[in-house]
Amino acid sequence: MKQLTAILEGIGSTLQLLARSAAHVGTLPRQRARFIEQCYLIGYTTLPIVAILSFFIGSVLALQAGYSMQNFGAKQFIGSLVGLSLARELGPVMVAILVAGRVGSAIAAELASMKVYQEVDALETMNIPPARILVLPRLAAILFMMPVLAIIADLVGWFGGALVSNYVNFIGIDSEAYFAALRRYMHFKDVMNGLIKAEIFGFVVVLVCCNIGLNTRGGPREIGASVTRAVVTSLILILVLDYFVTKALL
Amino acid sequence: MNNAQQTARVGLFFLLGLALTWVTWETLSGGKLFREKGYNLIAGFDSIKEVKTGDEVRMAGVKIGSVETTRLAHGRAEAVLRIDTGIVVKSDATATIAMAGLIGTNYISIDLGSANAPALADNAEIRTRVTPDINTIMAELGNLGQKLEGALGSFGAAMNGDGKPGGGLFQKLDRLVTDNSEKINTTLTNLQEVSAKLNRGEGTLGKLINDPSLHDQLLATVGDIRTAASDAKTFMANASSIVDQVKSGKGPLGTLVYDDKAAADLKSTVANLKSVSDKLASGQGTLGKLINDDTMYNSAQATLKKADRALDGLGDSGPITAVGIVANSLF
Amino acid sequence: MPSCSPTRNPFTAEETPAVAVSFEGLSKSFGDHVVLKDITFNVEPGEIFVLMGPSGSGKSVLLKHIVGLEAPTSGRVLLDGHDAADEEVRAQIRIGLVFQAGALFNSLTVYDNLALYLREHRLSTEPKIREKVMHALKILSLENTAAKFPSELSGGMKKRVAIARALVMEPQLLLYDEPTSELDPVMSATISEIIAALKDEYHVTSIVVSHDRDLARSIADRVGILMDGKLMHLGPPSTLQNPSDPRLKDFLNPKIDLKNPRFKKLET
Ligand SMILES: Nc1ncnc2c1ncn2[C@@H]1O[C@H](COP(=O)(O)OP(=O)(O)OP(=O)(O)O)[C@@H](O)[C@H]1O
Ligand SMILES: [Mg+2]
Repeated sequence: MKQLTAILEGIGSTLQLLARSAAHVGTLPRQRARFIEQCYLIGYTTLPIVAILSFFIGSVLALQAGYSMQNFGAKQFIGSLVGLSLARELGPVMVAILVAGRVGSAIAAELASMKVYQEVDALETMNIPPARILVLPRLAAILFMMPVLAIIADLVGWFGGALVSNYVNFIGIDSEAYFAALRRYMHFKDVMNGLIKAEIFGFVVVLVCCNIGLNTRGGPREIGASVTRAVVTSLILILVLDYFVTKALL
Repeated sequence: MNNAQQTARVGLFFLLGLALTWVTWETLSGGKLFREKGYNLIAGFDSIKEVKTGDEVRMAGVKIGSVETTRLAHGRAEAVLRIDTGIVVKSDATATIAMAGLIGTNYISIDLGSANAPALADNAEIRTRVTPDINTIMAELGNLGQKLEGALGSFGAAMNGDGKPGGGLFQKLDRLVTDNSEKINTTLTNLQEVSAKLNRGEGTLGKLINDPSLHDQLLATVGDIRTAASDAKTFMANASSIVDQVKSGKGPLGTLVYDDKAAADLKSTVANLKSVSDKLASGQGTLGKLINDDTMYNSAQATLKKADRALDGLGDSGPITAVGIVANSLF
Repeated sequence: MPSCSPTRNPFTAEETPAVAVSFEGLSKSFGDHVVLKDITFNVEPGEIFVLMGPSGSGKSVLLKHIVGLEAPTSGRVLLDGHDAADEEVRAQIRIGLVFQAGALFNSLTVYDNLALYLREHRLSTEPKIREKVMHALKILSLENTAAKFPSELSGGMKKRVAIARALVMEPQLLLYDEPTSELDPVMSATISEIIAALKDEYHVTSIVVSHDRDLARSIADRVGILMDGKLMHLGPPSTLQNPSDPRLKDFLNPKIDLKNPRFKKLET
């Protein structure tokens, strides 16, 4: 019962935070510097890990697909398999998980410590809503950066798959055939689908992490607890949302 | 790091994202970026079945392009084929929808066409033919039939180089058949006897071949029949009203054409004799084989049966097709 | 509503009315822990009110009620007659709060800490902001720290930055939570002078939570002493000389008795 009310409270406060942030959208142009800084932290600095991870996920996908398909001669479909699964599912989910782990945790930690060390209170006494300068630029930044990260993840993953298909002996599908298969069974809407998913995941992750950070009470130990809670909540939400968003977009 | 640098990096990063999205879009949605150079051909079908954008176009099995787009236009389904530069598609080449595998991958297959036909230009319409889905054998058969039709056509043209008016032809044909009906009947009877004997494995055909008078008579008859047949073919292609007359069963030709058995017999005889005489003239031993080899006989019989079936099945589709199908089945 | 004598802001020529603060039966408890019990008193516009009391008596909690950071369990706090819990009311009145722990923005430089309020509310152009910020820093001998981050400052410096940040806001009501607790005697005196000057020249209402008896004696108009969640004493600083209540006496003039230490008394 207590858990349930906690969950409902969490949902409610998150939505409230969203509404309060949205009310300040008009101030975004003035907050350009903050927005750029958040874009930098959320997007640019997350790029290397996204690239590395998606490269290997693409490679492993191709490897596993090649291994299991060699027995019934469907190897020429590796390209479409890797392409579709990365674009529609693994790309967005992987990027969202990375964002939760790398960006969400940082946001939760920063806002939690601001809250615990009364910086948030100081903002409130100055009549500067925290939603405006702490949450809104982050939400805007993730909206702009998430598709970029996701499309990079897709493409790097595809190339990883192509390399493996080309150079692993028992697969031996050359890049041209790989990409021909990829192109034949894919439409841009598959990629678009993935980008929309990534956008939703990223937005939810940042919003939830902001909310958990801002609702921290206590001291350093609570900061740590908030970070853990923010990441765990984000991961659960990503996977739960994934099901529903996928269904809605089918 | 200073602010300007950060802004520049974020800007660059965002532009990179936009560029990559654009590249992906171009690649996957048939944008212009990755389109091979070449020219377009338009292939109209009643249904393009499983064919979709990006599927291969092959000529004699070799990939020569891809399906650029599929659309509904002019009351039919059209596939726009992108043909690679340097590939010549002849104007009499035919496009068909073929299957590459059991899981339903389709491609557009174009045959080579004839060597001296003109090439198709950009945005020209290519001939198409409907093929049953999996039955590539049927498609092959169709090809053969077409070739035969071509051959017969040129043969007929050679025979009727002077080109008589249609009505006269029919009368001539009718008269010819009436005049010769006895002869034809005799010939048919004889030939039936011959084939019966052949069936029984007796050496009658050898006798037939060795008896000069019989041989000459037969050849003359064959010649007559062939003339009649080709005239009829030419005419029928032009005059449907008369065909209707024939269809209604008037006149001996009507009887001849519409009596399945007679027609089949006649045609088979004509065909057989043509090959017999050809082969004989060129001195080849096929006839000997035909006479002595059971497998040849069996296949001949199977072919006859096929022809019967074909005729039965065709019903009202018209004498020309009937003749074509009979010929197709036989050769 | 209390009379509003015109005040001039220390950093602008604008005239803003001083603010009156009144506590009406304010009670606050955290769970079972009752911190404030039915507190009622007024702070006049333009007054310097010094609030004293033992550690943990609820002084900081009281200040937080004025800026809406805590909500009363019962009773209310009025700013010029309007409920301080109302966000709209607080948006109308500029209130500066110097947090006990400073509460500086750790991700911003000292300069940006001070400039944030003016920038966010678009109160000045950037050159004007620079002028004001540097002026405030100079008053508190902080000119050299402008480009530093709070983590690079000493405790006393942080306190001074916090005070400077409140001053730059050009508030009508200034709340100080132990402004002099971490400062050397000279700097403490400076702070006292600043508070007095703001009152004399600009008629700013100030509520100062402090244990600094010198500060209380020299600049306070009235002193209140909070004990066990109640206002034990309220009156001009002169009334503190001879308190009747023994607990008050001990609080104001604790004798350091090495022979008979207080912690030993507790043990028995
Ligand atoms: N958020 C809170 N949750 C629970 N209890 C609190 C909270 N804030 C303050 N308290 C309690 O209220 C009481 C008063 O705290 P407050 O900070 O007002 O003390 P103070 O008078 O400012 O003391 P000091 O002079 O040491 O700063 C303390 O006992 C404290 O434990
Ligand atoms: Mg305190």
